[in-house]
Amino acid sequence: MMDWQAVQVSATLAFLTAGLLLPVGVGLARWLATTQWAGRPVVEALLLLPLLLPPTVIGFYFLLLFGQGSSLGAWLAQHDVRLVFSMQGLLLASWLVNLPFMVQPIQRAFSAVPNALREAAWVSGLGPWQTFWRIELPLAWPGLVAGVALTMAHTLGEFGVVLMVGGNIPSETRTLSVAIYDRVQAFDLQAAHVMALALVLVSVLALTLVLAFDRQSQRNRMEMGA
Amino acid sequence: MTGLRVALHSSSRIRLDAAFDCAPGELVALVGPSGSGKTSILRAIAGLWRLPGLSGHIRVQGQDWFDSMQDINLSPQARRAGLVFQHYALFPHMSAMANVALAADKHWTAQDIAALLDRMGLMGLGERKPAQLSGGQQQRVALARALVRVMSGASAQADVGGVLLLDEPFSAVDAPTRLALYRELAALRQQVAAPMVLVTHDLAEARRLADRVVILDAGESLQTGVPSHVFASPRNARVAQLVGIQNHFQGWFHRNELGWGRLTWKARSGAEVSFKVIDKNRIEDGIAVTWVLNGEFVEVKSETVATISSGTHENVLHCRILEILSLGETSLCTMTPEGLAGERITLQLPGQMVRTGHWQAGSPVQLSIAPQALHIMPVK
Repeated sequence: MMDWQAVQVSATLAFLTAGLLLPVGVGLARWLATTQWAGRPVVEALLLLPLLLPPTVIGFYFLLLFGQGSSLGAWLAQHDVRLVFSMQGLLLASWLVNLPFMVQPIQRAFSAVPNALREAAWVSGLGPWQTFWRIELPLAWPGLVAGVALTMAHTLGEFGVVLMVGGNIPSETRTLSVAIYDRVQAFDLQAAHVMALALVLVSVLALTLVLAFDRQSQRNRMEMGA
Repeated sequence: MTGLRVALHSSSRIRLDAAFDCAPGELVALVGPSGSGKTSILRAIAGLWRLPGLSGHIRVQGQDWFDSMQDINLSPQARRAGLVFQHYALFPHMSAMANVALAADKHWTAQDIAALLDRMGLMGLGERKPAQLSGGQQQRVALARALVRVMSGASAQADVGGVLLLDEPFSAVDAPTRLALYRELAALRQQVAAPMVLVTHDLAEARRLADRVVILDAGESLQTGVPSHVFASPRNARVAQLVGIQNHFQGWFHRNELGWGRLTWKARSGAEVSFKVIDKNRIEDGIAVTWVLNGEFVEVKSETVATISSGTHENVLHCRILEILSLGETSLCTMTPEGLAGERITLQLPGQMVRTGHWQAGSPVQLSIAPQALHIMPVK
């Protein structure tokens, strides 16, 4: 019924993607929220691109870039790194595709911290790092929770990129969503049902969490007087 | 050199030309309309405003915080500026106690901070978050946070190495709370010997709290002095306008015998009236002037009463009342001088005086104007 190997692959991918994306996402989001740099809209547009592009397009370019046919792919192969049809490759693709899901909510949370609070911390003697750890991060943390929840839910549901980049290798790249596709192809509708329902439940849970924390951060924002 | 010395100059897109100093324990108010640069100056002292091309110096208790000649510009962290923000900027996720403790150096113990909060009317509120405090209480927490930054430790001999900066701190609280906070600030000044700089657009507040005021306009400090002097003797017409003097007029000044001069008030109709004025030897003979009438040195009587002869130098002006607005204890009385139709003098008079004189619109009155009521400035 339930393809437990696929569950394990999906869960591993979700946790690793979120875990590896979180520090980068926080850094990027904090930078975007406060920078005065003129090139900021370009960076923001590039970050949003994965939301608009069809997953097949992303997967296609990924294959072109890292496949055996490309010089980069050949060079990587010499060093025993295979990014096509492997867990590592899937992780890299998933990391890229999920950037907007992680960065967006965190950036909103950092933007909501009024500049006067940063300045108040500075004149109180706190350096930039202390200001980040003691003032900004504690105020922006609902955004971090939302980013992680969105990223994990989206990773579990990702299909196109996974199929293009990872293929359908059991216990290596066959995720839940690919397993469902596989079962439907084989007319095993009951198994497809069980796994699909599981994904629906997880997504509802994640979205509920995101919305609850969004409300929390709105309350924070009001208390911050923003 | 103790206290605070500020001299800032910038001729870039943002113009600035301001200089003042502030002794330990003194409170100087920066007063001006929005856009006059008062908040920018305060932020420059705290190290939060860094304008390229800014020259001059900021010295606190003999230490250079900013000096364009020596290329010194300390970070906000390295300056000891206790800044009370306009909307307090308390950290919402921290208790009142933690907000204050965050700004305190190692010479402050937790007991010291708790005692300070108690003294400032926050007894038992230390564990509350800012959102659980009233506006006035939040203001006190912000003031306490600024204070611990200014003083190194709570003892009476503590080194006061910083400045206390107040950015429109009373604008966001209701009137009764504001009065209570005024009292507390006055009490605080007895205990803390730090230079204090207050930014406000409220003239009455500046007059009430400050030892000296700096009148700012378009980035330039126009006049500095004790409030009563600046308000009674503005240096020029712009200052008079900024400090809200109602009765300012145009005229001509002529020198008479030693120490005395004659002010000619020329109305638009061409008619004129002359007053005897004190010649402080500051105004050239025969030039056009702006002058203001200070109501404190003007006596008003009913025209039916025999002509006043209280002093030999008094100027008498016959007027007709146009309008009386009762403002409780006082009445705002607008009148026009006889023969000078179109000119208006507005005086604030005790309500009792208006009632006993049975004055109303149309009543004739006579003004006895002492020479010191007439303040003359060059037209600018």
